[in-house]
Amino acid sequence: MTETVIQTHKLSKIFGGLTAVDSVDLTVPERSIASIIGPNGAGKTTFFNCVSGFYTPEEGDVLFYGKPIQGNATDKICAMGISRTYQNIRLFSQMTAIENIIIGKHPRLKGTWLEAILHNPRYMNEEEEAVKEALHLLEFVGLEGLGDHLARNLPYGAQRRLEIARALANHPKLLLLDEPTAGMNSQETADMTAFIKSLRDDLGITILLIEHDMKVVMGISDQITVLDYGTKIAEGKPKEIQANQRVIEAYLGPGAAALSKKFQRKRSHDA
Amino acid sequence: MSEQKTTREQSSLNVSKLIRWIAGILLLALVGWRVYQTAFIEGGYGPDTWMRFIIAGLVIGGMYSLIAIGYTLVYGILFMINFAHGEVMMLGAFGGYFMFELFAFIKAPTASDPNMNFLNAYPLVSVLLAFIVGAVISATAGFLLERIAYRPLRKAPRLVPLISAIGASIFLQNAAQLLFGPQRRQYINPDVLWRGTGWSIPVGDTTVLLTYTGTLSLVLSALLMIGLFYIVQKTKLGRSMRAVAENKQAAALMGIDVDAVIGKTFIISGILAGSAGVMWGIHNGLFNHYVGFLPGIKAFTAAVLGGIGNIPGAMMGGMLLGILESVGPAALGLDFQLKDVIAFSILILVLIFRPSGLLGEALSEEKV
Amino acid sequence: MRTSIKNGIRLGSIVGVVLIFFHLTGFSVVASSMLGNLLGNASRTANVTRLPIINLIIFITLLCIFAGGIASKNKEIDSWGNTLIPGAITGAFSGLLVAIFVYLIGIVYAQNIDLRNYLPEVGLPTINYLLFDGKKFASLLYFGLMTVGCIAGAAFFKSVIRADWRKKAQTTSVQTFKKFVKKSGIQKFIGNKITVYVFLAVAALLLYFLPTQWGPYWNYIMGTVGIYILLGLGLNIIVGLSGQLVLGYVAFFAIGAYAFGLMTALEPHAISMNFWLAIGFAILAAALTGILLGLPILNLRGDYLAIVTLGFGEIIRILIKSDMLTGFTNGPSGLNGLAQPRWLGNAFTDINFFHLIVIFVIVAIFIANRLQSSRTGRAWLAISADQTVAQATGINTFKYKLLALALGAAFAGLGGALFASRNQFTGPEDHILMVSINVLCLVIVGGMGSIPGVVVGAFVLKGVPELLRDLESYRLLAFGALLVVMMVMRPEGLWPKGRPALEALYYQKHPKDSPPDGEVQS
Repeated sequence: MTETVIQTHKLSKIFGGLTAVDSVDLTVPERSIASIIGPNGAGKTTFFNCVSGFYTPEEGDVLFYGKPIQGNATDKICAMGISRTYQNIRLFSQMTAIENIIIGKHPRLKGTWLEAILHNPRYMNEEEEAVKEALHLLEFVGLEGLGDHLARNLPYGAQRRLEIARALANHPKLLLLDEPTAGMNSQETADMTAFIKSLRDDLGITILLIEHDMKVVMGISDQITVLDYGTKIAEGKPKEIQANQRVIEAYLGPGAAALSKKFQRKRSHDA
Repeated sequence: MSEQKTTREQSSLNVSKLIRWIAGILLLALVGWRVYQTAFIEGGYGPDTWMRFIIAGLVIGGMYSLIAIGYTLVYGILFMINFAHGEVMMLGAFGGYFMFELFAFIKAPTASDPNMNFLNAYPLVSVLLAFIVGAVISATAGFLLERIAYRPLRKAPRLVPLISAIGASIFLQNAAQLLFGPQRRQYINPDVLWRGTGWSIPVGDTTVLLTYTGTLSLVLSALLMIGLFYIVQKTKLGRSMRAVAENKQAAALMGIDVDAVIGKTFIISGILAGSAGVMWGIHNGLFNHYVGFLPGIKAFTAAVLGGIGNIPGAMMGGMLLGILESVGPAALGLDFQLKDVIAFSILILVLIFRPSGLLGEALSEEKV
Repeated sequence: MRTSIKNGIRLGSIVGVVLIFFHLTGFSVVASSMLGNLLGNASRTANVTRLPIINLIIFITLLCIFAGGIASKNKEIDSWGNTLIPGAITGAFSGLLVAIFVYLIGIVYAQNIDLRNYLPEVGLPTINYLLFDGKKFASLLYFGLMTVGCIAGAAFFKSVIRADWRKKAQTTSVQTFKKFVKKSGIQKFIGNKITVYVFLAVAALLLYFLPTQWGPYWNYIMGTVGIYILLGLGLNIIVGLSGQLVLGYVAFFAIGAYAFGLMTALEPHAISMNFWLAIGFAILAAALTGILLGLPILNLRGDYLAIVTLGFGEIIRILIKSDMLTGFTNGPSGLNGLAQPRWLGNAFTDINFFHLIVIFVIVAIFIANRLQSSRTGRAWLAISADQTVAQATGINTFKYKLLALALGAAFAGLGGALFASRNQFTGPEDHILMVSINVLCLVIVGGMGSIPGVVVGAFVLKGVPELLRDLESYRLLAFGALLVVMMVMRPEGLWPKGRPALEALYYQKHPKDSPPDGEVQS
């Protein structure tokens, strides 16, 4: 029986007079890739922020393996096994690439300041292991050899992958990716898509994805949830979402669904 | 202005919240007990003394308000504490001083008094010119400050312009000291406006003195604040300032010259601070290169008290701080030495318990 | 070209104002007397009436040469026209401003007006000197001198400093030096562990013997440098590593000094604690204060935190000095007769105390270094880089910020106690805001988050002013200007922190784990 990794019940986030997320229910089973899509301003990143703990929802719960986590501080939630990346890359710019990854492992390490001064064997071993693992992750995301470069000096695509490596260092059970292919060309996008797939297949991580690139979304999602103005307007497998009227209208405006029907009929006529 | 936002970064730590609540309640109890003791049990002060305190508080509150507005304007636009603002006020004070010295030097003999000087012959003109010169000097100083020490650092991390501001503050203080010497100087007021003269108001059995200088300060502060409010709310410049404070990028896209607006903001805050500086000299008499330091910090406290970025907040915060500082030591039965401690404590307490200030902050948002 | 002219005017006005400022604050006179000391034609303490005019001329000329060089900096077309014309404009414009000024003070001189009431540095003898010994046409001289000086400076910079031949000469000499080093086989000595040990041994010997040679005055100064290194290391942890701008650092210094003092002074409480225990007590007291202060305020925004800590520092000082607490702290009179360190019954001499400071500094550097490259240090750096994301990456930011504050305060407590013990005294005037600003300056000028930077900063900001005692009155002015200039031009400091090359280090240690193609880029 696959466990439900993350589940939200009537999750709502309200800012003053604006309801950014309106009573959203979401269920994501283990080892799956769930995508959240929707036009700009639909509340996708706000939803992410509620799951990862940046925001406390006004209403509703977020359940992680059945346990409610809303209202917890972000570091506690991270320690539980949820990691994320950001829409506009937020690496620790003054640190090197490998240091960024090691920082990602912070919740899994136990070194205290006292041990740091004393350099006792347990601490030294733990640090060495951390470096080793970081090097593995560096290789895993294809950045071997670049570990000692300052994070801000890396090219854009490398920075995105580094952010993912940092997130992976936490040994997460759930990974939140916020527009991982933004700004990439088709080759980089294809590589990233394959990479995300391997995260699920090889590492068994559950992935929650915000994406705008429909090829990516349709290509790897096990389920897609569509938000518009904060409400969930559709949910289902890629094929279902593609044909869904409300979804098309949300993106292209009212009447677009009728148009698309017309084109579909035309295509089947010409075929 | 835009949506309210808290200064507090994400903290759901119950330990610190609990400590804060306990500390807050203890503090209120302590203060209440002390005030009760002094006001009712010890009963050392009569109503005339309290009036004196309040008047003094209002007068100095007016000056604090003017300086506080300067802080709040700059913070609203640049998100930085202009540490050198106190020194801008100090330069204005020097400007007014030199004007008075000059006018006292110029002879204007009349039939009745061959030794009359310009200052006493035309006191109104002298005072007006002193204020204008003081304000102009401060405005120029503020403008240059922005150009040299802050503009190049607009994109730097927050710490950097802060340190530059501290450096500028130290530089200006010491430049004034080296140029004019460390000794305290005294303002030569015109005879009609001499310190310690004024109207005697009967209160209870005795009278309370309402000084001419104090009244002048209060009236001028009020006028300047009204003038500023008008500028910010009704003029094109004011609109541009509010737009830039809310969202620099959007303002630039709307065709507003952001750099020019920022420069003008510094000029306006300089005018206000310079006027406050001249007022300080006229009312308090003694000053030197260090005169801007404490009022600067206190005015910043006032700005925070009212809500940073919020102009009416700065005005209210200034008056409130002035009164609290004046009435506080007596009310709590403490030494007058500890007047400054009260001001600093208010700052710390406000930042701990209500960081968005009494009237709420007015700042633009930060996105995750 | 037009921008060059505009820049020339701008620079000219700056130079003109600067020179007028130097004249009005008496700096020109001081500089001339220092030049006199250098050239041997006047003693350092000479009265302005005995200073040779030539020194003033040299000073002005040097200023103009430098200005001309900056004015003529033109990357695009390096022709003589493009270099000399901006230089000439700068010179002429600044010369004009100064000439007007000189004309005015000439009038003052002619009328025998004594301005010293308003401008204490500009008495009549000084004006006489600034007019090149009362020359009537001094303004014309200034105009001419400055114009020529700037042109000369522009020419000099173009033909010597920026010239191709000099750059070539520099590169070739560097190359020859490198070749020489390679050939002679010295290469393997650099970075070698043995060399490092030799270097350390030499340093240790110097530190041991120099104090016996340099007399009590320098001993005291160097000791102060050492204490400021301690303070800098502490503040470095708070500001440089965890990114919290604390402006009231002196508060912890004061707590350490007074904790030590109150435990060991004869009045007001005759406790007479042992020196070493008292030091420990001071450190703990300071750390505890750091924690107590931090608990309510750590979540404040950066600027607010700065001001609150500033207020706290001032509150501590005012309270120590106040009449209300004089029974407890001895008020303005301070604490006297503090404990001195003793070892085996013998009191420490000044030299011994210096060595004690050195030992503490070495231990502090050791601790700071280990902290910096640890999990804790990484957490601090992440917090200062991006606190929101750091917390989301699993770091309990509150705990780490509090830890940084406590540890930083502990360093300050130690410094305060040592300072008090060395002086056998501590009072409210030792704990003024300036101390906080001094330490902040040295951390920033040295390089935030960098331990060698702190050492460099301490030497530059505490040691160098001692060498330039004549300029004592200008020290703070230079401080302020230095801060602004450093932030605008080199915010990373004099010796910025580098990050450790962990990947390369790892593969050095474990060569067999290297990636297949062997090359590790760095």
